[in-house]
Amino acid sequence: MTNDQPIRSAAVVNLFTVLARWLLGATILYLGLNKALHPVEFLKLMRQYDLTQDALLLNSMAAALPWFEIFCGLLLLAGVAVRGTALTLTLMLASFTLLVLHRALLLEAAQNIPFCAVKFDCGCGAGEEFICRKLLENLLLLVLSGWLLAGRGRQFSLRFSLIKPPAL
Amino acid sequence: MTNRLYVAGRILLEAALVAVVGAAFAFAANQVSPRGLALARNYFPTGTNDAVRMPPIAVASVGVPGTNVASVGVPGTNVASVGIPGTNVAPPAAVQLPASPIKAKEVPLIDGPRAIQLFHDSHLIPGAIIFIDARDEGHYREGHVPGAYEFDPYHPETYFPVVMPACRAAEQIVIYCNGGDCDDSKTAALLLEQVGIPDQKLFIYGGGITEWTSTHQPVETGAQNSGSLKIAIQ
Repeated sequence: MTNDQPIRSAAVVNLFTVLARWLLGATILYLGLNKALHPVEFLKLMRQYDLTQDALLLNSMAAALPWFEIFCGLLLLAGVAVRGTALTLTLMLASFTLLVLHRALLLEAAQNIPFCAVKFDCGCGAGEEFICRKLLENLLLLVLSGWLLAGRGRQFSLRFSLIKPPAL
Repeated sequence: MTNRLYVAGRILLEAALVAVVGAAFAFAANQVSPRGLALARNYFPTGTNDAVRMPPIAVASVGVPGTNVASVGVPGTNVASVGIPGTNVAPPAAVQLPASPIKAKEVPLIDGPRAIQLFHDSHLIPGAIIFIDARDEGHYREGHVPGAYEFDPYHPETYFPVVMPACRAAEQIVIYCNGGDCDDSKTAALLLEQVGIPDQKLFIYGGGITEWTSTHQPVETGAQNSGSLKIAIQ
């Protein structure tokens, strides 16, 4: 009984970690697909962030980001290069969250409404959303990415690490 | 410590690999996708970053007595308003221009009553006054001004064969999109101008389909001249 308990706890943690990996992968895949299916809409939304004046650069970002997300989502679902993918997603999510927050603050000031009442389509792939909800969602995704980055979610992975440690 | 650094280095290298392969996959997928973006194309000829940045900018329907025409700039120029030649309209006293700077040629903006009048006039001499819907196909099929031509300015090549002859034959062309902060109608107007449609013919209905339906005007669903009409009840 006493000996079984740590094993069971580890099994439960492992199960949740795998579910977290799949949840994160499926969410990123879904958001990416939504954008990839409507690239012009995504381009128009990206344009509102004033990231660049250069059409080629703006087009490139709008064209590549959705498919890049799909790629990362698939990697996580399959369990390939999990920590590298988690790091990439963490960096992307953190940048996007800052951009969305910045735009929300601008809208809050322009509309003179409470921060959480700000609602807009951030181009994240889920349509119009209240900013507080969006930030919470992103925070959750960041926590999941961080968890995977820490080396969790190895079960049911095709190839957890691309770069194997050297044999001692 | 050394081991941790080694693990961190491995993760970084793996992330770099994911980024490089992912980017290659992404650009290839965009290239192959029938909906993919053309990277070299300027989708916003009115100015890459001249999108309406802040929400609802009040344009046009300002209700200046005796005036039913305002003017909106294609982003990029600082334009005062003008009337439409031959329409017995004085320049409006106060028109709120878009917040973004205005560069290119201005396109006259018409308000709801004027759009309705032109819609009714369009039945008198078919083809002399035409409406162009500058939204995407999905929105167009959900409901458009009856008889309006579909012209998604982000896929112009698809629509030019049908729209161009109609534009050449028309005397007045009313272009609209959703209204409010939508500037697809301006993009469409500029595209038509670029392919040789005289700018004197072009007018933008600033209120767009939102205002059109809110004033209980009929909309046609499905394809152009499908005959399937409805009136929005709000």
